[in-house]
Amino acid sequence: MSAIVTITDVVKEYSLGATVVQALRGVSLTVDKGEFISIAGPSGSGKTTLLNLIGCVDTATRGVVEVAGKNTANMSERELTNLRLNTIGFIFQSFNLVSVLTVFQNVEFPLLLQNKLNAKERKERVESLLEQVGLLTHLKHRPNELSGGQRQRVAIARALVTDPLIVLADEPTANLDSETGQAILDLMRSLNQKKGTTFIFSTHDHRVMRYANAVVRIADGKVKGRESPQEAVAHEMELGPDPTLSTEVRAS
Amino acid sequence: MTFFGRMLWVIAFRSLLQHRVRTLILGAAIAGVTALLVTLTGAFVGIRTTLLLSATTLMSGHVNVAGFYKASASAGAPVVTNYKKLRAIIDREVPELDYVVQRGRGWAKLVSESSSQQAGIGGIDITNEPGFRQVVQVKEGSLDGLTKPNAMLIFEAQAKKLGVNVGDTMTIVAPTFRGTSNTVDVIVVAIAADIGMLSSWNTFMNDQGLRQLYQLNDESTGALQLYLKDLDQVKPVQERLRKVLAAEGFELMDPDPRPYFAKFDSVNRENWTGQKLDVTNWEEETSFVQWIVTALTALATIVIIVLMAIIGVGIMNVMWISIRERTREIGTLRAVGMQRDAVLAMFVAEGTLLGVMSTSVGGLLGVLGSLALTRARIALPPSWQFVFFSERLVISPTVFWVLTSVGFITVAITLISIIPSFLAARLKPITAMSHVG
Ligand SMILES: Nc1ncnc2c1ncn2[C@@H]1O[C@H](COP(=O)(O)OP(=O)(O)O)[C@@H](O)[C@H]1O
Ligand SMILES: [Mg+2]
Repeated sequence: MSAIVTITDVVKEYSLGATVVQALRGVSLTVDKGEFISIAGPSGSGKTTLLNLIGCVDTATRGVVEVAGKNTANMSERELTNLRLNTIGFIFQSFNLVSVLTVFQNVEFPLLLQNKLNAKERKERVESLLEQVGLLTHLKHRPNELSGGQRQRVAIARALVTDPLIVLADEPTANLDSETGQAILDLMRSLNQKKGTTFIFSTHDHRVMRYANAVVRIADGKVKGRESPQEAVAHEMELGPDPTLSTEVRAS
Repeated sequence: MTFFGRMLWVIAFRSLLQHRVRTLILGAAIAGVTALLVTLTGAFVGIRTTLLLSATTLMSGHVNVAGFYKASASAGAPVVTNYKKLRAIIDREVPELDYVVQRGRGWAKLVSESSSQQAGIGGIDITNEPGFRQVVQVKEGSLDGLTKPNAMLIFEAQAKKLGVNVGDTMTIVAPTFRGTSNTVDVIVVAIAADIGMLSSWNTFMNDQGLRQLYQLNDESTGALQLYLKDLDQVKPVQERLRKVLAAEGFELMDPDPRPYFAKFDSVNRENWTGQKLDVTNWEEETSFVQWIVTALTALATIVIIVLMAIIGVGIMNVMWISIRERTREIGTLRAVGMQRDAVLAMFVAEGTLLGVMSTSVGGLLGVLGSLALTRARIALPPSWQFVFFSERLVISPTVFWVLTSVGFITVAITLISIIPSFLAARLKPITAMSHVG
């Protein structure tokens, strides 16, 4: 399999006045095309920072970030934006929908930016996605008329609507109940299998990790290793049981 | 428009709608300024129109063939000899002509039993004055009385000052260009409604009577006043007449954009005798009051600039707030692949939309308000009459000025909105997304 994301010796520093926070301290990572990979680690370990670099919404202080074969350091803002539009799908932890647009329009938006499909094709595409996330009945609703879980499903439909090569999801199910969360993960998984879309999602939830075909453990801004989901869960057990862990997951 | 372009307008429109109160306050302010601008330009047009109307009724044609006759080098009189020959040339050379009148020109003291005042006297042949009859409203007496040689028409304010009524007698004392003063008794046959400030120093008398006062022959008059079908033809007709009359052998005065009564000094200083013609237009004959129009224009411009500055600051502020509130949204849109220029376009669209909607409403209100004010026939206080050249408030909104006002303010608002929009578009997606609040 060919690498779709290659990260080499990446350091990311945030300067807060005089002090400098090192969010990533020399991270190297390769993600192959078609992987369904989880970035796991405790809060503050650098998961979001890493996803932002892969998603080309932020730039590394040092090191190389290659996405879809391109070194992002050499790209202009316009090229990066196009890369985000055509290659990457984002699922944000806090939904980030456009409040004045309907569910349908929110999902349609990236297609309008792409300007490739005609109105009929767009409608079919958007409705098919919304059907998959179970929101076909809410096309005309505004985000503030939806529950948190419904909003995240809209966000997922929006991330997937352009059929991106890579989908980045920052704790995508953190704000969903477990049933909906599973449905979403099943959906992501089936897209991964059907289309070969690469998924990179961060989580600290074992139920979510279980879905991954590989787990990259990250702590204190450093990659601690790449493991199978079983190893990762076991690892987690050694560190002590997580109170949020369900019996169902522990049993499996 | 692309679907994407349409979506930008949808977002802009709904964002304005979402913040109804803010949008309404700002929109009302913009509409107010637009209405004010429409009203001011309407007042400007109204003043120009009434000035044109009163000037061309009382003291000038659209174009005039006038001039001075000098019996000696220092004794110029505002007289045109042989006017019938000139009349024939005008009829031949000016197809744009509507009609021509001849008017005598005099300057004299009117003495009544109780008072006196200086005034210009127009010698008028009331049987050949189509325009005069339409504009001058006789309050007392009748215009037909002017057919008698010693008959006189004055205006209401003058009648009041002189304390005369129709049928009363006044004495006219006129210094002549021969150095003596002639005196004649006249009867007031008509008192007309004032026509703005210009009517305060204009009176009319039978043209034969005026000739007798100055001892002029029947072939002499003060000016041939040409009225054209189309005002845009004033300059070309003026130019053409200058050339034609020169070619016909008449002596012409150099172009001088002043009213005839301001030219006495310079004419009398020049060392020629006999007849010289002067081809003028109505704006030149009223140039002594045009400064009022200029001053009003300057004043209105300042008012509008100040208001626009205030509105501009308001718009900037509101857009800042809007952008602050929507920073996360901007970050998200940038993250999902929206280019900077599209973000810029989205916010500018919001400004433009606010501008178009508010200025349209404001323009409409301005027009309705102007028409209502004019229809109400509001009597102006004397000092305002001076400025408006009219007894009553006349605001004439024109299509040109309404569209110009609406367009100008819309463009200004769009330009103002570019600055905050530009800064919104420049935000890094990650900075925007991690924005709290
Ligand atoms: N914009 C920022 N400015 C300063 N420090 C930041 C910023 N974003 C993240 N950090 C810091 O970087 C570290 C990693 O953060 P983050 O990537 O959000 O971790 P995670 O997503 O795993 O919780 C944390 O210590 C956090 O405080
Ligand atoms: Mg995070």
